[in-house]
Amino acid sequence: MQSANKPIPVRSAHLNRWPAWMDMAQGATGLILVLFMWTHMFLVSSILLGKDAMYFVARLFEGEPMLGKPYPILVSLFAVFILTLIVVHAVLALRKFPNSASQYRTLHQHLGNLKHADSSLWYVQVLTGFALFFLASVHLYQLITHPADIGPYASSDRVWSGRVWPLYLILLFVVELHAGIGIYRLVIKWGLFLGDNAKRNRKILHSIKWALTIFFIVLGLFTLGAYMKIGAEHADRVGERYVPSYHQTESNHQIQTDLQVESDADAESPASPH
Amino acid sequence: MKTIYTDALVIGGGLAGLRVAIGIRRRGHDVVVLSLVPPKRSHSAAAQGGMQASLGNSSMGQGDNEDVHFFDTVRGSDWGADQDVVRMFVNTAPKAVRELAAWGVPWNRVERGDHQSVIDGKNVTLTESEEAHGLITARNFGGTQKWRTSYVSDGTGHSMLYTMSNQAIAEDIPVHERMEAVALIHDGERCSGAVVRNLKTGELINYVAKSTCIATGGYGRLYRATTNAVINEGMGTAIALETGVAALGNMEAVQFHPTAIFPAGILVTEGCRGDGGLLLDVDGHRFMPDYEPGKKELASRDVVSRCMETHIASGKGVQSRFGEHLWLDIRLLGKKHIDTRLREVKEICNYFLGIEPADSLIPVRPAQHYSMGGVRTDFRGESPTLKGLFAAGESACWDMHGFNRLGGNSVAETVVAGMIVGEYMSDFLESSAGDITVSSALIRDAYNKQAKYMAGFGDRNRTENPLHIMREMQELMSANVAIFRNTERLSSAVEKLQQLAIRAQKISVRSSARGANPDLVAAYRVQKMIKLSLCVAQGALQREESRGAHFREDFPLRNDKDWLCRTLATWSEGATMPTLNYEPLHVNKMELPPGWRGYGVEDRVDHPDTAARQAEVDAVRAKFEGGDRFAAQEALMPYSDKLPEKLRRRNARLGEKGDTQ
Amino acid sequence: MSQNTKHEVSSLNTIPVKNVDGLRRLTINIFRHNPEDANSVPHMDSFVIEEADSMTLFIALNELRENQDPTLQFDFVCRAGICGSCAMLVNGRPTLACRTLTKDLPEVITLAPLPGFALIGDLSVDTGVWMRGMSERLQTWVHSQEERDFCEMEEKMEPELADKIYELERCIECGCCIAACGTAQMRPDFVGAVGINQLARFRLDPRDERTDADFYEVVGDENGVFGCMTLLGCDDMCPKSLPLAQQLAYMRRKMALAS
Ligand SMILES: Cc1cc2nc3c(=O)[nH]c(=O)nc-3n(C[C@H](O)[C@H](O)[C@H](O)COP(=O)(O)OP(=O)(O)OC[C@H]3O[C@@H](n4cnc5c(N)ncnc54)[C@H](O)[C@@H]3O)c2cc1C
Ligand code: HEM
Ligand code: SF4
Ligand code: SF4
Ligand code: FES
Repeated sequence: MQSANKPIPVRSAHLNRWPAWMDMAQGATGLILVLFMWTHMFLVSSILLGKDAMYFVARLFEGEPMLGKPYPILVSLFAVFILTLIVVHAVLALRKFPNSASQYRTLHQHLGNLKHADSSLWYVQVLTGFALFFLASVHLYQLITHPADIGPYASSDRVWSGRVWPLYLILLFVVELHAGIGIYRLVIKWGLFLGDNAKRNRKILHSIKWALTIFFIVLGLFTLGAYMKIGAEHADRVGERYVPSYHQTESNHQIQTDLQVESDADAESPASPH
Repeated sequence: MKTIYTDALVIGGGLAGLRVAIGIRRRGHDVVVLSLVPPKRSHSAAAQGGMQASLGNSSMGQGDNEDVHFFDTVRGSDWGADQDVVRMFVNTAPKAVRELAAWGVPWNRVERGDHQSVIDGKNVTLTESEEAHGLITARNFGGTQKWRTSYVSDGTGHSMLYTMSNQAIAEDIPVHERMEAVALIHDGERCSGAVVRNLKTGELINYVAKSTCIATGGYGRLYRATTNAVINEGMGTAIALETGVAALGNMEAVQFHPTAIFPAGILVTEGCRGDGGLLLDVDGHRFMPDYEPGKKELASRDVVSRCMETHIASGKGVQSRFGEHLWLDIRLLGKKHIDTRLREVKEICNYFLGIEPADSLIPVRPAQHYSMGGVRTDFRGESPTLKGLFAAGESACWDMHGFNRLGGNSVAETVVAGMIVGEYMSDFLESSAGDITVSSALIRDAYNKQAKYMAGFGDRNRTENPLHIMREMQELMSANVAIFRNTERLSSAVEKLQQLAIRAQKISVRSSARGANPDLVAAYRVQKMIKLSLCVAQGALQREESRGAHFREDFPLRNDKDWLCRTLATWSEGATMPTLNYEPLHVNKMELPPGWRGYGVEDRVDHPDTAARQAEVDAVRAKFEGGDRFAAQEALMPYSDKLPEKLRRRNARLGEKGDTQ
Repeated sequence: MSQNTKHEVSSLNTIPVKNVDGLRRLTINIFRHNPEDANSVPHMDSFVIEEADSMTLFIALNELRENQDPTLQFDFVCRAGICGSCAMLVNGRPTLACRTLTKDLPEVITLAPLPGFALIGDLSVDTGVWMRGMSERLQTWVHSQEERDFCEMEEKMEPELADKIYELERCIECGCCIAACGTAQMRPDFVGAVGINQLARFRLDPRDERTDADFYEVVGDENGVFGCMTLLGCDDMCPKSLPLAQQLAYMRRKMALAS
């Protein structure tokens, strides 16, 4: 007798590629968002280096150094791009949400029983993701509609006098938690850095994850504090735009341009209290 | 009353049962497998050490072949085995390993170059050839002349059973899990299936089949200290006994394994000693060479277990709260070896003893391990007395182990028996013998009898707790029918077992709720187990000699003159004791006439025909000296027509061509 | 070997039991329900038992059945931690009861059946039928069209590869990874780490002739690798310490590439 095995079953002609692609898209959008978030945090925190630094960064993103003059529309476009990413990401992630009351109940019971760190972290991610959908949309909507409102004074005024700092405070915690957990899970999901001692390496990754989250939250708190301080000091001059120190010593012409742009963008009114 | 019809009913989803079922399925018949538990949880999964087959790939296995395996097995059996069956077995074992290799078992492989190993307490370097690189390797086991035991780390049984079970799934074989055969349906001549209890719902179902195979494993749970799983209660063996027609062979032949961890009784594999581990006493003295200067720790299991018990009795045991034990030392094998080749052993030590075997000694003491006895069948696996009833694996006694089984020969037997019995059952189904006409009255009666029997336990006048009776029986067996036996202990055991049997009539089952009802399960099982215990104890009492694992202090010698025979136990309906008969083994047909095993006691009482047969054998061997070993074998004891045709061909080895198709 | 050889026994271990004196009285709360009995309602029963030396949950539960409640249902087979029968929730976490020593547990112990499987009664669940369904769905066997003659030499295999395959084959289908997986708990069709790991084992095996596209067919969807949300309860609670995180990631990568 021969040890023949069962033949390979006939495969259907087309693979359904959607599940793989959606999974990759979810991860990719998440990854881009996290990288963006962290970059964004560094950029915003430039205020800690002084108003000039922050001013420079803001103009940089409006394309001034390359294009000769700032185009706030670039900011709007970028914000639209990020919002699209978030929408795509959120729609894909939504598939993973518990989708019925009974699933929620099962999940709660499960997490309660298990007391397992990574599982609970995932639930934190679901909750923060859900919150982000609203918080980030509000924030982005505002940027899209008022792209030029970015500057040491404009931003600080919005934070303080526009009273959006509570939103930012919540957003900070929510987004950093979500991003930290997200990137940690993404790395493990695709098996990066697990090496041949996965258990130990996962512990290390876990610590790195918390370190990153805490680092960005602290950085964020300082940054927000800085804006609030400037905003408070500037409360009586709401609407005034910042003139960087290096411009004050340079030619009038450039200051002119600067003002010109700001009025173009109809940015004189105080930040809308979203 | 629900009835299921099938061509073949296989009772047991371990290695043996599943391989039988696959064979039958491949011949195109319907087959249903029953199992108490999901098949992958059968006790075959617990086999750690390995599977014997004379592949001869590794350097220490060089020169191995069917002949050497045959001699080792017959000597191991203390000449109790049926030598035809052993021949069939050794020729099929290499095929079985290779078939399993093709099906997916990740056998450990030979690695070219030098390796450090421990032999007899010393570090040695073994060199493997380029040519053998990547072939299936082997480790050393007790009672063998060559390293012959193929293995998968120390999870051999697990890998084999998973592969086998997956293969059964691939073949679409239905396995009805949590189904317990509680009686065979038969008319005194022909078996036609079984009455089965559903262990989820408590429902009784009839399985009517043209042929039935018992592959239910061993009966280790007759003993308190055993390495066996809690489901190894011998139920398949018992329902065959209860037919009154089928016989059980050599029930007194019960093996005790030297290294069960103390006191839990969980096994650590013979591979520990095969790989170089030592046995030490209270002083840290390696005592086995004192008793067995030749094979030392690697004498056969019956011998090593007896030496250990003797050594403990001489005051050299280690005292502990639970009683006395000895030490197994595998520290010398090194952490790497333990972490890769003895992983389950390591886990067991970690979890149950809280020790690290690379640094600490393991407390061990012999415990019941294997049931050589079982449903008596011919070489086809069929009962000679009840037509249509087959048996395979540990539950069968077609008799390849005689009075002692070699380590690694059992999982090999399960698969080999599966391959052979599967073919013969198919032949049976295809012949006119396979036809059945079962009357519905027969089925109904069998069913009603069981239904009434089960209901009877609810009777109010009953008072006994089945689990307490079970415990008493187990303690009795462990104390009196174990490694050292004598008239006094055995007759007291028989007497007390009979008293227990009477008490067992009064077992009460307190719950009548639908469902599995574990109390009821214990109730009907313990009654059957007492019957099996009586077969063991009475068989041991009557056998006034020592052979293999059966050792009588009052008859310490093997006595071929009076006892070169197989015990057959039957149980007539309503009887309180088994009826014992004896079936002789024929010296003048033996390829290997009785002699000294090469270890253990050398003195014996010879059979009157032994000398003449030995001379005959020597003459034939001399004639073929240096010639064709197959021709010599054929001249001594032709057997190959007993194998199904497809299993007759010769096995290829390095430097030896096989028969190709 | 010289008869006088003494082997180092200075590290003589005694049978480890920390609670020799001061044995505790344990309270064991057990989930009870018999779905076969129309009158049975799920509830918890509380038992008190004297702790003994080296007591495992196997010993404790059998003692309860023997002396306190003969109807108590639970599953043990090997009682040595190798067959996977006895997985249950011990104080909320899935584990093998037979190798859990009571001395490692607090004085109050809560036992519940594994969630995610059909309940047979009390602590007994039907993992077997679940696992067979998984096996049939994922076709967890070697698929090969080659006809090998088993009288011939076996096919060679690199020793290292054989070890690697065994590493993944050590799964005992206990179901702990399903009970520990939030995804599997919410979505009953999810094959879980046990299924994905088994396919990874066959993908690694050169004897299996299936391609990645074949594997994709059975596991490339939301009930397979892409359903796993990397909660890693499986990896942390697998009693055999299988490298599940790596296998899940490995299969995800391979299946993503195959798409
Ligand atoms: C701890 C341990 C280690 C071992 N190690 C080795 C080793 O290294 N090498 C070796 O060669 N041998 C070893 N053995 C022996 C070997 O494992 C067994 O002899 C062999 O696996 C038995 O296989 P089987 O198929 O006959 O029975 P089992 O695997 O025991 O299967 C019995 C089957 O029958 C079913 N069943 C039982 N009763 C009924 C019933 N009434 N109705 C329906 N179904 C029923 C059970 O559910 C089960 O599926 C070891 C044994 C033990 C205990
Ligand atoms: C705005 C709405 C958002 C929602 C509703 C949301 C929701 C989710 C959810 C539920 C998950 C888990 C999915 C899973 O387990 O498979 C997830 C993963 C992730 N999210 Fe978000 N998220 C949002 C925004 C963001 C933002 C702004 C970032 C960047 C900072 C981000 C980064 C990530 C990352 C990296 C992952 C891991 C991806 C993966 O596992 O494949 N998300 N998100
Ligand atoms: S992967 Fe681990 S937890 Fe899951 S079934 Fe297998 S052994 Fe159990
Ligand atoms: S990683 Fe998480 S989701 Fe994936 S199988 Fe394991 S426990 Fe389930
Ligand atoms: S009973 Fe086998 S693993 Fe616990």
